[in-house]
Amino acid sequence: MRGTAYELLRLLLPEVTLVGLAILVLVAGLISRPSTGAQGQRPIAGWMTFVGLLAIFGLTFFIREGSLFGATFVLDGLAMFAKRLFLAAAALSVLGSLTNPQYPFARRATEYHFALLVSLLGMLVLASARELILLFVAFELMSIPLFLLTGFLKKDAVAPEAALKFFLVGTASSAIIVYGLSFIYGVMGGTMVESIPRALASGHPLMMLGMALLLAGLGFKIAAFPFHMWAPDTYEAASTPFVAWLSVAPKAAGFIALIRLYIEGVGPEALVWMPVVSVLAGMTIVTGNLMAIPQQNVKRLLAYSGVAHIGYMLVGFAALSSSGVAMMLFYLVAYMFGNMGAFFVVEAVARSEQSDGIDAYRGLAQRSPLLALAMLIFLLSLGGIPFVAGFWAKLYVFLAAVESGLYGLVFLGAVLTVVALYYYLLVARSMYIDAPTRRESVPVPGLLGAAIAICALGVVGMGVYPGPWVDVAIRAASSLF
Amino acid sequence: MNIPVLSVMTWAPLVAAVVVMFFARHRPLLVRWASLAGATVSLVASVWVYWAYDRAAAGFQFQEEIAVVPSLGISYLVAVDGMSALMCLLTSIIIFAGVFASWTVKERSQEFYALLLVLVTGVYGVFVSLDLFIFFLFYEIAVLPMYLLIGIWGSSGEVRPQGIFGWAMGRTGVGTKEYAAMKLTLYLLFGSAFILVGILALYVANGSQSFSFLVLEQVQFDPTLQSWTFLAFYIGFGILAGIWPLHTWSPDGHASAPTAVSMLHAGVLMKLGAYGVVRVGMALLPDAAVDWAWLVGTIACINIVYGALSAMAQTDLKYVIAYSSVSHMGVVMLGAATLTPTGLNGSVFQMFAHGIMTGLFFALVGLVYEKAHSREIFKMGGFATMMPGIATAFTIGGLSSLGLPATAGFVAEFLTFLGAWSSAYQWWLFPAVIGAFLTSIYVLRVAKQIFWGPKSEDPHFQHLPDAVGTEWAALGILVFVLVVFGVMPSLAIAPVDTATVPLVERLTGR
Repeated sequence: MRGTAYELLRLLLPEVTLVGLAILVLVAGLISRPSTGAQGQRPIAGWMTFVGLLAIFGLTFFIREGSLFGATFVLDGLAMFAKRLFLAAAALSVLGSLTNPQYPFARRATEYHFALLVSLLGMLVLASARELILLFVAFELMSIPLFLLTGFLKKDAVAPEAALKFFLVGTASSAIIVYGLSFIYGVMGGTMVESIPRALASGHPLMMLGMALLLAGLGFKIAAFPFHMWAPDTYEAASTPFVAWLSVAPKAAGFIALIRLYIEGVGPEALVWMPVVSVLAGMTIVTGNLMAIPQQNVKRLLAYSGVAHIGYMLVGFAALSSSGVAMMLFYLVAYMFGNMGAFFVVEAVARSEQSDGIDAYRGLAQRSPLLALAMLIFLLSLGGIPFVAGFWAKLYVFLAAVESGLYGLVFLGAVLTVVALYYYLLVARSMYIDAPTRRESVPVPGLLGAAIAICALGVVGMGVYPGPWVDVAIRAASSLF
Repeated sequence: MNIPVLSVMTWAPLVAAVVVMFFARHRPLLVRWASLAGATVSLVASVWVYWAYDRAAAGFQFQEEIAVVPSLGISYLVAVDGMSALMCLLTSIIIFAGVFASWTVKERSQEFYALLLVLVTGVYGVFVSLDLFIFFLFYEIAVLPMYLLIGIWGSSGEVRPQGIFGWAMGRTGVGTKEYAAMKLTLYLLFGSAFILVGILALYVANGSQSFSFLVLEQVQFDPTLQSWTFLAFYIGFGILAGIWPLHTWSPDGHASAPTAVSMLHAGVLMKLGAYGVVRVGMALLPDAAVDWAWLVGTIACINIVYGALSAMAQTDLKYVIAYSSVSHMGVVMLGAATLTPTGLNGSVFQMFAHGIMTGLFFALVGLVYEKAHSREIFKMGGFATMMPGIATAFTIGGLSSLGLPATAGFVAEFLTFLGAWSSAYQWWLFPAVIGAFLTSIYVLRVAKQIFWGPKSEDPHFQHLPDAVGTEWAALGILVFVLVVFGVMPSLAIAPVDTATVPLVERLTGR
């Protein structure tokens, strides 16, 4: 690969454009800042971000595979897949928050979108990072704006608390990651990810310690058991469209890092992680599902169910096979549509009812049948019911795990989907069976409605015709083995 | 022969559901006629399939195949043999009668009929599909609408437990429709988790990337794998078939469900479970089926006696019928466990007979409730003078239930008992016969108390109308079928024989 400026630009096109977009949003916000009447500014920053993200999403189809800087930055199938996922999720989230009436969003839209774009930049770099320091820096670039965004509603009593909790847990996990990386560096004598297999094969105990610490640190980031405590509090306090993104994109980033570090090119040596990851996956599924049962707040319920979903993705990871990774990626996409859609419905209901409680959904089917139907579809998808995306996601993950002989884990996961359906059905029951307390329909702003519709289309589309999505996931994973 | 008749049969209710959902808003009569049209198309198709099924050729016929996900070997593969043709016929009769039985549903009738029809498509799909994956999809479709059907249109029971039970049951909401709906859904989905694991295990183990029943049938699976997957299928499908001690969803669910849903669920869906055990469990895993026959048969015996004893203790009419289903499904499972052609024929015949008679019972209970607004057996009395038609139908159904000759119930029980006697475990016969005896006690007791005994003094029960209009249609069809198949059992035995005899040969001729 010749390092000409043209080649450089060609491979870094999404990142470079994203930096440009972030600066543009910032400058536009500075110029157009109104002295009074906060309403004027909001749409500009938001619309610019949304359109820009769509454009960058389009651009990702014009870059081709390659690597840069001595293979520290690669663009392979996995990186492309991850970048598109991050961009799509971010665009959806921005679309959902464009009409957010909360005062801070109107007043400080520039900051919000700038922080979001910077975090996204961290994710895009992370997807391509094949070197430990770059990986870590990208991770931090992604995480720090997330702390800010969590506490964005700073006048709200719980937001600073949630941001602080998230910040403390996040930095602690970063510290653990760095600590683990130091051992790995010590054993490998280098920072390239590709030399991990050789170091692992040497069986040095410090190498194993380093990798275990790294796994724990990444476990914090993806909110796997026993590092999941921060998720519900954070989700409850932060603004919902942002949470929709927070619950998907950083988790996906964590998984990409896991794949890069533990599976890519490692070969049969990777099988040492199978027992550890299996136990982690099983515990995560059990904890997430059981903790979700007593929740009365739908955001907290979705947070715990999200923990359980991380567990299911870890099942695919535990298979440590090409199909396992592919199915995990498929699961991520299904989870993105289902989970973000559910959070958007929560947002719509919360705006009208001023509540995130399950009680706010009473009789929704009779008040706003379409909104209730959308929520039902998302919940069924998260629950893993046929003809919506979640079913195929769970099925494929299980299939990959069965191929690797993890019958026990699959059985546990399958049984606990029933537990999950219990609490999803509690929401469905509130919507469909209970009588409404009010008769008038729930107003859904057009753009939020569009975001919900896109998610619903995605969930149903993937559920009815999963073939192409599976092929994409398999292609993305094939470059790893 | 170019009409894809099985697909027509399977999807007609779904088409009707779409029509109901999108074109019949605020037009209740159109809702009913569209549903009836869908049910009629399916009925005609299933009768035709049953009639045209070539008994001499046997095997699977009317085959259709469309690849769905070629990379995973999933295809829409449907066909029927003698057993599934009879089951399709049963489904058609029950839904046809069910549409009439729910003619009077008032609240949100559009959604009610749509969900009911979707459910029926799922049931047909399970009976006709030979691709295990599609089979599983249809199975889920058949299970899920139940939650809403019971939760929205169901009725909360009149059970009032006393003392410590009252406290405990009050806490969990036992007896309410919401409780029943949730319990039923979770039990059945719990079962489907077992089934899914079993199917995936067979898929990975068969080595040819296929979910097709026809392919898997040829594979000789490893004994250990057979053993635990059979158990997984037995538990998974068994929950739906109401095996003891996993049956407790069924009385609650059936008692709380609206009439047509009880008919369909007790009449057809429980048969899906038994059908699944025979079709997937026994036919694909013959060695394990023989090894585990003792377990299947013994639990079936417990079902028969336990279900009958529980039915005797009930004071709520709907719970009596619901527990009698648990008892009768024991007969079905016992017939299957005998591993003899006679026993299996009895088993399949009992699926059909019980389906019809329990459908009839639930239709009758629904009618009685609609007119008298009560399900409490010991408050009602002497209804025969006011509603002779309903009383007669109930008595015919009851006599079939206790196995009186010239009714379908007799043929089924007789064949099963013969099979049990010629099986490896002859003692199975005794609990089965005791169960039949207990059945006669509770059925006759209920019939005497409500219909034929002295008239109740209660002022509410003085001027009750008999069945009218469409209600007759539901009762007439079911009674007719019950008697016709009782007098001419060969109508069902002949085609079923073509499926059971090869299956038994496979099971025992190893």
